[in-house]
Amino acid sequence: MELIDHLILGFTVALSPQNLLYCFLGVTVGTLIGVLPGIGPLAGVAMLLPLTYVLAPTSAVIMLAGIFYGAQYGGSITSILVNMPGDASAVVTCIDGHAMARQGRAGPALAISAIGSFFAGCVATLAIMLLAPPLTTVALRFGPAEYFALMTVGLVMAISLAQGDQLKGCAMVVLGLVLGITGTDVQTGTLRYTFGIAKLGDGIDLVSVAIGLFGLSHIILNLEGATRRHLELAKIKSLMPSREEFSASARPIVRGTILGSILGVLPGGGAVLSSFASYTLEKRLARDPSRFGNGAIEGVAGPESANNAASQTSLVPLMTLGIPPNPVIALIGGALIVQGVIPGPEIISKQPDLFWGIVASMWIGNIMLLILNLPLVGIWVSLLRIPYQMLFPAIILFSCIGAYSVDNSTFAVWLCVVFGLLGYVLLKLEFEPGPLLLGFILGPMMEENLRRAMLLSHGDATVFVREPISLVLLLIALGLVIVMALPKARDKRKEVFSE
Amino acid sequence: MKRVMLAVAMMLGLGTIPAHAAYPEKAIKIVVPYAAGGTADIFARFVAERLGTKWKNEFIVEVRAGAGGNIGSDYVAKAAPDGYTLLLGTSGSNAVNPTLYKTMPYKAEKDLVLVALVAETANVLVTGPNHPGNSIEELVALARSKPGKVTYASSGNGSVLHLSSVLLANKKNVQILHVPYKGTAPALIDVIAGRVDFMIANGPSVVGDIKGKKLKALAATTSKRVAALPDVPTMMEAGVEGYDLSSWFGVLAPARIPDEVRLKLNAAIREVLAEPTTRERFLALGAEPVPMDAETARQFFLSELKKWGDLVRASGAQVD
Repeated sequence: MELIDHLILGFTVALSPQNLLYCFLGVTVGTLIGVLPGIGPLAGVAMLLPLTYVLAPTSAVIMLAGIFYGAQYGGSITSILVNMPGDASAVVTCIDGHAMARQGRAGPALAISAIGSFFAGCVATLAIMLLAPPLTTVALRFGPAEYFALMTVGLVMAISLAQGDQLKGCAMVVLGLVLGITGTDVQTGTLRYTFGIAKLGDGIDLVSVAIGLFGLSHIILNLEGATRRHLELAKIKSLMPSREEFSASARPIVRGTILGSILGVLPGGGAVLSSFASYTLEKRLARDPSRFGNGAIEGVAGPESANNAASQTSLVPLMTLGIPPNPVIALIGGALIVQGVIPGPEIISKQPDLFWGIVASMWIGNIMLLILNLPLVGIWVSLLRIPYQMLFPAIILFSCIGAYSVDNSTFAVWLCVVFGLLGYVLLKLEFEPGPLLLGFILGPMMEENLRRAMLLSHGDATVFVREPISLVLLLIALGLVIVMALPKARDKRKEVFSE
Repeated sequence: MKRVMLAVAMMLGLGTIPAHAAYPEKAIKIVVPYAAGGTADIFARFVAERLGTKWKNEFIVEVRAGAGGNIGSDYVAKAAPDGYTLLLGTSGSNAVNPTLYKTMPYKAEKDLVLVALVAETANVLVTGPNHPGNSIEELVALARSKPGKVTYASSGNGSVLHLSSVLLANKKNVQILHVPYKGTAPALIDVIAGRVDFMIANGPSVVGDIKGKKLKALAATTSKRVAALPDVPTMMEAGVEGYDLSSWFGVLAPARIPDEVRLKLNAAIREVLAEPTTRERFLALGAEPVPMDAETARQFFLSELKKWGDLVRASGAQVD
């Protein structure tokens, strides 16, 4: 009954007054970020990251993880009531959620999305508990060659799952790689891509990139459309879903949870992808697909469960392999590194209080979120009435403070501006910045492992195909590339994303 | 007696440079050249807290990380030499970097002076649990039997841990292959798994795994055995003559700091280090307090610059 001991340990950590407070702070900020259009969990985590440096590592991760899954709850409120996604993973919720709201069923839509998220959150937490410990033993078998192969799969997936043109996705990954290896080369000490700017010698800071690409750029985009922007808030009559609505949602919630839990763990996956995948799945399985788009509750229940499950299970690769599957988790990993905790297979065995404390906090956080999002939904709705002209200066201010405080450097703030403009241009040209950030994070790790594998094999490149795990992973990556190149798969992909 | 002498010294100081009469008369800033939360930061905060209570003066710890410690060190090297801007430097940031970096923003031996040493940590050579080498002798024999094939990990190119292995290779005249990592933790995973033969790691980071039998400790790099690992021989005991390296942490100041300010700081830090609670707190961090008088500290810094400088040149490591 080791699991029960672990859970007791986890709850003792998570229920300490201090950690309860940070969990509450995290989920509240998360909901806020989710509700406010224009800033997603990535920008939110990036802004609050420097604040966590003064906290204990456990409290820091409890809070940051709370922001991530809290945003999945909050995002649906805006989607349903205003037909504007509060954050990217709630895009699909707009379709049927807002249709329901127009029919006067906003309450049930909100209730089902909160209940679905809660169920998914609980199941995903259980999945982490069962999955993570055995994975760490596998992780010890991962040498440099295996890590390299795994990250190759991650980047290929990032390209194949990116919305829009694959060539553009590929270009974004490559640009991310180049930006990622800026600075001093670990092995030779040579400066790369610094153009004589001494500040770039330590590389480009992830927080600046994230705030710029995902925060500032969206603000510019929102301001551009500000004149067109008028919020038509749908009215909430009753929160209680009918019995039919409940029974129609049950299966989608379960399916969404399973789908999200799996996609969350995969590199390149995460909340956004899971919600899209779940919506497509529900539409496929429906007896009458034409109902979708006209207020089908399954189209709310599935995706909202899936995105919450994914946001939680995506902590698994970080805690076991030390590899962040998506940018938000990469930032959480960064927070741990600053604290002197290196994400990897050692965390669960060496710092069980950290790992199990975080796991237990997720249950507590989900209960808090259920309360925040159902009985207290009115508070968040009133937030949506604040004019954007008043909101965005505050967001920009917090972003700048966040970027500055990482290293007490104004250079980081300028970098934010540069990446904000870059992000805006990319969004205009329909380049998705997600793969860029993943390339930025995984690129340097990949290079490091590639060269280390070559060093350890004394220059023998066949090491990547001699090691069975590495070989299988590389074959998967190759398979993905081939599938992507097939014309049939390409058409199918277009069809999926156009939905 | 000591107090009288200090008073005399202060009066003399009063006569020559009135500005330093009542040092300290405003807040003192201690710059940390590495990221917040690291060991250097912990020692800086310790010095700030203890001297602050002692002198009833405000101390500010300021993190100026970057370029392997050069940004913070350069800031202090070029600060006013009045004793109000100090640096919590390390063997890495201040003894290794001046040779490692192709271009240095300041001149280490001319621009900075070691006011007082604070702490020292021993490093330990470890191998995986199933590694054939059970002693330094066996490890060296293995390296000699297949030149260039025995691998060792480090926390980075030109790091103190890298250079510690270089010294072993030089002393024993063997060829071994360096595999740099970013930090100690990922490197240790490969050592435990047996993918890399050995690593010289910071004592505190490996004591747990050595006691848990996940790592074998072959030798400590200091001239004295490590308190937490009484069974592990020193390099010299294991047959590596003249091997004595440690990572240190000390308070540095701009070189032209007035002598009386330097002596006053040194005396105060030594008093703090002699307090019994200090030792306890340092041991928990895997470090030992090293009280050293001002002149010894000054000389120690110069000899460390030379010692690490020679090792850097021997390793061939260089950073642009």
